[in-house]
Amino acid sequence: MTAIPLPHRFTSSVKKYAMPYVFIAVPVISLIVFLIIPMVVSLWWSFNDYSGLNSPKFVGLNNYVELLTKDKIFTKGLVNTTMFVLLGMSIGPTLGLLTALMLNQKVRFRSLFRTAYYLPVMTSLVVVSTIWLMLYNRNGLINSVLQTFGLAKVGWLSNPHVALISIVIASVWQGFGFETVVFLAALQSIPRELYEAAMIDGAGGGAQFRYITLPALRPVIVFVYIIGIIGSYQVFDQIYVMSSGGPVYSTTTIVYYLFSKFMDLRLGYASAIAYILFAILVVFSYLQLRFSRERA
Amino acid sequence: MTVHPKTFGYSFRRILLYVVLFGTSILMIVPFYWSVSTSLKLERFVYTSPPQWIPNPLVWVNYIHVLTRIPFPRYFANSVFVAVVVTLGHVFFDTLAAYSFAKLRFPGRDQIFFIMLLALMVPFQVNLIPLYKIMTLLHWNNTYLALIIPNLTSIFGIFLMRQFLMTIPNELLDAARIDGCSEFGVFRKVVMPLALPGVATLVIFTFMGTWNDFLWPRIVINSEKLFTLPVGLALLQMKNTSNQAQIMAGTVLTALPMIIVFLFMQRQFIEGMTAGALKE
Amino acid sequence: MNTKKMLFCLVIILGLLLSSCGGSTPQPAVSQAPVTTQAVAEPVTITVWDYYGEATPIKPLIEPFQAAHPNIKINYEAYDWDTTQQKLNVVLSGGGAPDVVTVDMTWIPKYAAQGAFADMKPLSGGMLNGVPWEQAYTAGALKAITYNDQIISALYDFDTYALYYRNDLFEQKGIKVPTTWDELMTAAKALHEGEQYYYEFDADTFHGSQWIYENGGTLLSPDNSTVVFNSPEAVEAITFNDSLLKEGVGLNWTTDEGERIQGVKDGRIAMFSDGPYYMGIMKSAAPEMAGQWRVALHPYSKQPGSYLGGTGLAIPVASTKQEAAWEFIQYAMELENQIGVYTLAGAAPALKAALSSPEVNVEDPYFGGQKAFSIFLQTMETAIPFPYVSSWADIDAAFTNAMQQIALGDKTVQEALDEAAATSQEALNK
Repeated sequence: MTAIPLPHRFTSSVKKYAMPYVFIAVPVISLIVFLIIPMVVSLWWSFNDYSGLNSPKFVGLNNYVELLTKDKIFTKGLVNTTMFVLLGMSIGPTLGLLTALMLNQKVRFRSLFRTAYYLPVMTSLVVVSTIWLMLYNRNGLINSVLQTFGLAKVGWLSNPHVALISIVIASVWQGFGFETVVFLAALQSIPRELYEAAMIDGAGGGAQFRYITLPALRPVIVFVYIIGIIGSYQVFDQIYVMSSGGPVYSTTTIVYYLFSKFMDLRLGYASAIAYILFAILVVFSYLQLRFSRERA
Repeated sequence: MTVHPKTFGYSFRRILLYVVLFGTSILMIVPFYWSVSTSLKLERFVYTSPPQWIPNPLVWVNYIHVLTRIPFPRYFANSVFVAVVVTLGHVFFDTLAAYSFAKLRFPGRDQIFFIMLLALMVPFQVNLIPLYKIMTLLHWNNTYLALIIPNLTSIFGIFLMRQFLMTIPNELLDAARIDGCSEFGVFRKVVMPLALPGVATLVIFTFMGTWNDFLWPRIVINSEKLFTLPVGLALLQMKNTSNQAQIMAGTVLTALPMIIVFLFMQRQFIEGMTAGALKE
Repeated sequence: MNTKKMLFCLVIILGLLLSSCGGSTPQPAVSQAPVTTQAVAEPVTITVWDYYGEATPIKPLIEPFQAAHPNIKINYEAYDWDTTQQKLNVVLSGGGAPDVVTVDMTWIPKYAAQGAFADMKPLSGGMLNGVPWEQAYTAGALKAITYNDQIISALYDFDTYALYYRNDLFEQKGIKVPTTWDELMTAAKALHEGEQYYYEFDADTFHGSQWIYENGGTLLSPDNSTVVFNSPEAVEAITFNDSLLKEGVGLNWTTDEGERIQGVKDGRIAMFSDGPYYMGIMKSAAPEMAGQWRVALHPYSKQPGSYLGGTGLAIPVASTKQEAAWEFIQYAMELENQIGVYTLAGAAPALKAALSSPEVNVEDPYFGGQKAFSIFLQTMETAIPFPYVSSWADIDAAFTNAMQQIALGDKTVQEALDEAAATSQEALNK
């Protein structure tokens, strides 16, 4: 092997890697300027008592200690939010996949059905929450239906044992269309020949699903779960419109609590809440990504 | 035509399928029907018991009010402008970056991707004030730049496209490279066309997210001339009272363009492109 | 593709159109306190933030004000209530604060504790349009705008609670309009039928405090150092409130009951306690009930009482044009303009003179020809603002939580209030 002059190898190396870096340049710069820098600033605030108006007062880890050991409302918020995520992420993607599978058949009016499922997703959470507030009314549609079946009225948003579930229902209704659209796009990218070949080989619907559909959907499922968990943990709008965190803190979530602290001009404390949430989500996402890669 | 034993079973399954699809679609639509219906009522009939399913009298006054008392066309144009530019930015930058992360090898690839994901994990409220200060430093406060530039690309979009692009067979890319394409050429000629269902999905999500964005625009924009629709419509809520019917009219008008975009996107991209994919 | 080209053209066209008329407005200089104010002789532009919305009494003031003060230009910006609060938080820390802003009195504790608003005493020379502040407002109103001996906002419209009741039902059933708690219980029992005609109340600090004040108690001690909303008088007061619920004649209005106006219209509610702005809501959403309702002083056990809230006009301390800002605020507080608060926005003007003026204190046909504002003026005399301590938000949350627990029946009145008092005291001590 003839010796390759060093400059040559270097430039070819640079050339090999230059393009990928160029391709990601704009997003990375945008991230640094508009997200990383603000995050560093707010992380700094989390170690201070800061109202925004007067100078920050350094308090070290006090905010974190108080949140994790003494703040009962924060603990409630943590529990509520985790419940919300568990319920939502079990039901939502399942519904999404089911409807996507249905829509992937040769159905007429497919685009109309798809629009119907996606309508709630397209509408802002605030509007959806307002609508559900109406539905959950003591004398609203849902209770009226219950009454016609001889069942008792439910205090959907006034009963502390039920309120969080009510929010989950409204959120799943609003959100599963997202999974439907994503899964459907993925399903439609699967080449028909694979299914035809499988049928010729004698594989039934179940086997086709297990060996063709599911593996092809894996990347998208990973996406849905990571994004879904990250997003659900930050649930806020529905709480703001429908329940204001109550009754008796039964629907207080982490971000809602953070927001209330922010509005009280307790920026340091609010930032600390954010970074505890951040730590939780980092761990979750890292585990999910590792898990999904190991399977490959 | 011979009567295939499966014909009846097939029909029954199809009927069941349609029933389920139809039934659940109704469930999705009823709440919206309610808000449209409310928007066509006079305020005093909004809260009646029993509730009025069909507005009587059916009035257009709320829509007229929304369209004339606030500069609706201006807000609408602002929303369209911002949403379109941002969406185009996303389609280009996100897909390009996703291609890098999905198909190209370079040092630090997975680490950089993970760090970018971290950005999603902090609630926006927390970065609001520092980001606002950055806008002030750049003199972008109260300009379109503040609405557009920070939103031109997002890890959400990159992540989405990466997952879609991962399913593209490497042989196709290698074939194009052997044919002498530059990386960018591979991206343009091979990747983009195959990624179209994903791109269509990205367009829908991005357009929708930008269209409905409320928190950031209302903080960073002061001039009414630059208000987007959600910010402008919030003005309909007076200090202590709120006219439900009017608010519903405003929200129906806001949601309408997106429904149209969605229907359009579906037909043009998803239907058309999957037909292409099937032919391969 | 054709569609892509079309989109591009659309974007370019829109971009050209919008950028030719869009653009940024001159930003007030970011500065820190203390601030040098400009003499008003030089031309100056002040930014005014208004959350009143469509029916605002402030926007119509701009033209006549500019005409009367040719060297002051007004940059008027309107946002809704929520947006104003969020933006204010951001700009007070991030720069770009307005010169005049409408603030809800419930926001004052946190802003006052941080010294966010300018002191109007030196700016005004102790006079509001030629009248000393003490004469322009009731004692309670003045207390509401004073913090650490500084006047930090000019109360523009006020909110205090009076009893709204279904006079037609009272007459029909021969019930006496209650003035004491015992009479209130009697009236509520006589009115209530099945699922109709309740006394409606909210389990929050606004209404809870009213009962406490009416029984001679307070939320905090006079020096704001001790939490006393679990004192015997306070417990007695909340117990009475709870008794309405227990006797089946009171209705705790939770979120899923819907908008209160719904309950007003369908007869679930025959009595409730709320502020003057509610009259406007009833007129627009329940015109068919004209003549059926009246307002009266809310029945009390020892003395009349109510919370005092409303809207104030404030000048952020970062403003460099405080003199000019003050000119505008003073203008807004002139009698005719205060009357406009009622005629344009349906709210209750805070200036005493305006409240008792014939234009505001009219015989209201909706309320059977009653001069409703004379009742509200009475309530303003005895209304008490919330204490201005920096931990108010935490105290408010704890108290509201206790009220909710009591209404749900989860805890007894004493238990709930004691627990909330302990949490609040901790917050107060920090």
